[in-house]
Amino acid sequence: MSSWFDYTINGLVVGNIYALLAVGLALIFGVSHLINFAQGSVYSVGAYVGLVCITYLNTPLPLTIAIVLASCGLLGILIERIGLRPLQGRTRIAPLLATIGISLVLDQIVQLVFSAQPRALPSQVPDWRFVIGGGSIGALDLLIAAIGLASAAVLFAFLRFTKLGWAVRATAQDREAAQQMGVDVDRVDSAVFAIASALGGLSGLLVGMYYNNISPAMSFQATLKGIVAQVIGGVGNVPGAIFGSLFLGLTESYGIALFGTSYRNLFAFVILILVLISWPNGLFGGRRSLPPEPLTGTFIAPSRPVLLPFWLVVALVATGLLLPVVVTSPYVIQTLSNAWLYGMLALSLTLVAGTAGQISLGHAALLAIGGYASALLALDLGLSVLVAIPLAGLITGLIGTLLVYPAFGLRGHYVAIATLGIGEIVSLVILNWESLTRGPIGITGIPPLAIGKHDFYSAPAVYWLTFAVLVGLALLQRRLLRSPLGRTLRAIRDDDVAARTYGINPNRYKGLAFAFSGFVAGVSGAITAHLYSYINFETFTSQISVLALTMAILGGLGNVFGAIAAAIALVGLPEIFRVASDYRMLIYGLALLLLIRFRPQGLFGTV
Amino acid sequence: MHSPTNTALPEPLLALDHIDTFYGAIQVHFDLSLEVGRGEIVCLLGGNASGKSTTMKIILGQVQPKGGTVTFAGEAITGLATPKIIRRGVGSVPEARRLFGAMTVRENLLMGAYLRSDRATVAEDLERTLDLFPRVKQRLDQRAGTLSGGEQQMVAMARALMGRPKLICMDEPTMGLSPLYVERVLELVRDINRAGTTIFMVEQNASLALQIAHRGYVLQTGRVVLTGSAQELLMDPGIRDAYLGGEQAA
Repeated sequence: MSSWFDYTINGLVVGNIYALLAVGLALIFGVSHLINFAQGSVYSVGAYVGLVCITYLNTPLPLTIAIVLASCGLLGILIERIGLRPLQGRTRIAPLLATIGISLVLDQIVQLVFSAQPRALPSQVPDWRFVIGGGSIGALDLLIAAIGLASAAVLFAFLRFTKLGWAVRATAQDREAAQQMGVDVDRVDSAVFAIASALGGLSGLLVGMYYNNISPAMSFQATLKGIVAQVIGGVGNVPGAIFGSLFLGLTESYGIALFGTSYRNLFAFVILILVLISWPNGLFGGRRSLPPEPLTGTFIAPSRPVLLPFWLVVALVATGLLLPVVVTSPYVIQTLSNAWLYGMLALSLTLVAGTAGQISLGHAALLAIGGYASALLALDLGLSVLVAIPLAGLITGLIGTLLVYPAFGLRGHYVAIATLGIGEIVSLVILNWESLTRGPIGITGIPPLAIGKHDFYSAPAVYWLTFAVLVGLALLQRRLLRSPLGRTLRAIRDDDVAARTYGINPNRYKGLAFAFSGFVAGVSGAITAHLYSYINFETFTSQISVLALTMAILGGLGNVFGAIAAAIALVGLPEIFRVASDYRMLIYGLALLLLIRFRPQGLFGTV
Repeated sequence: MHSPTNTALPEPLLALDHIDTFYGAIQVHFDLSLEVGRGEIVCLLGGNASGKSTTMKIILGQVQPKGGTVTFAGEAITGLATPKIIRRGVGSVPEARRLFGAMTVRENLLMGAYLRSDRATVAEDLERTLDLFPRVKQRLDQRAGTLSGGEQQMVAMARALMGRPKLICMDEPTMGLSPLYVERVLELVRDINRAGTTIFMVEQNASLALQIAHRGYVLQTGRVVLTGSAQELLMDPGIRDAYLGGEQAA
């Protein structure tokens, strides 16, 4: 049994590591109003640069640290050049999406170079331990604490006493006025990304040494923890980020002591949602409401959507129906069935993110809810699959809406963060609610798709079923978009204050959008569950959420036909051409980056 | 002492020639030309949406015109980035002051001298500037955001002076101030000008601006509709139609 002292030390050490991540995020948000989703990728790059230094170059610790700081600092400058600078003057969500694209690319490059396998990162600190009272403290603990304090002191001195530091603060407060004083704000952006990334890389190095274990998968969680810490302290608030990080580290550590390791992240995300909803300026900022930022949540580039003539729709549907007759390869047919399932997810997201303007980064959670609901209805209640699937869709619509409901008051970035957090919470609840979900083991033996006594084992049968459901849902959604309801949703998206003055209650309509969206995604998840016959809490990962968003943007946000075409392009084509999965994520990341930069209206135009 | 002049000097300090500006498809300026001579106070008058503030942004390089040139001290500055324009000797008192609210008054003033590297002379200038603004001196270590609107306007003007500019552009310096401060601000503008700095001022309140200006331009929906010395403009009945809205002013 470890003592409370040990848990406190552990909490502070982890808090220090979070602080190095979160301070950078806060600086970047302060200056550019951007939540940098690539921060975790830089952190993992820092860990791997450290690995190369320590195991191949045998550098001493101070040199290792210097190399990590320098290389990650340069990487930060590069990220700013690619992800932020070309997007100036665009909606604020655009650079955020660009950093998601950059993080996919960086993570995949790390994985291609070093493989996905975890690696040991030997600590270069002697293994001394000092026994104090009932616990002990190690040399590495002290080093991490010292680096945390030193970084904070250097950062403080930089902001307070250097000219560039003054420029950073001035730019954060009023970008235009700073320019009018002669500040080159592009240089400020660059400097801030360099600092943030250097600290983030250092954080990765330290965490690798602390756990003696690094893997490319550490990136995403790091981004999330940095964001949570920052939200706790108040977005963009540098001292707040340090406070939030220590608070988060301690909460997690005590949480593990009380409930066990699998609850650790649940605490982080529950705190995130609570703080976002109740203290949107952070625990430091008082209870003021957020400044209104109409339009910042949407990523709707003005465009004229491509309208398909009726005969073409009929021709496409007919082609889709006849395809299994012509194409005999079961592999191609299976791949396309998979694309239809993703198409449903893209439909679902394009409604919420496009038509209703709420960028959701947690959409995979809806698949998970639908999949679990249908599997459990069929297994535990013995419902027939044909009944379980639509019922699971309804349940997903209901639960999804209820989960997001508290976040309806949020806008822009905050919607993205909240949905991300809610998505993580769903998967952690699935992991921990063993009596219902079978916990980490997952659900096995899910009955296959069947109508009456006819099982759908053949590839064409699955194909026709998924295609029929997709076409049905797409027609329904198209109908909905053309109804007054669709118009109202777009009105709320474009200006919810103006919509309110016409007596519209935005929350009610956002609720309807999420409910329909949840139904569609839930059906997709349910069919997937019966198709796979096995699912667990990791079947529907956050990577799928990002992929869904890429599809929705590729097709043109809000565009029903575009969503389906994008699903074929991003899921079907790489599979048919047998692109290795590592490269596939790379393609998704690049696609997202290029789209945001050069064709924000997507292939078929926003609606 | 300067005497108001009717004609601009041979080589003006600032000249806008045939400026056309667009926001998307909407044209803001139509063939706008104006000049500010060395040592002058020139005001640009106009109502809402006349293109006044955009003119300011054009001079400071924050909006790029589609056609025409901006010349400062004999050199074209069209298309230059804002910091480069500031470096050539342009100072700005932005609309609504735009102080760095979380920074102290001292830090705000020193931000005004951001491009200067001569620490010793900056410190001297700080002292000298503060003599002009005794109220500001008392509040040096207070956060700028905690000051009253009038005090903030003083800081904004002092901040602009700290860059030792040849020209100060002021965007509605009296907006939102109490009558007492309005008088004070106008006096200060005159003092700064007498000490050798040229002033270009955008104002909505024509009668106030013309009290201290040498010359003025009247802008209406992006076109200069009237120009002349301050006296001429004050006398001109046309100024009411062009700018004050006719019967209202009568």
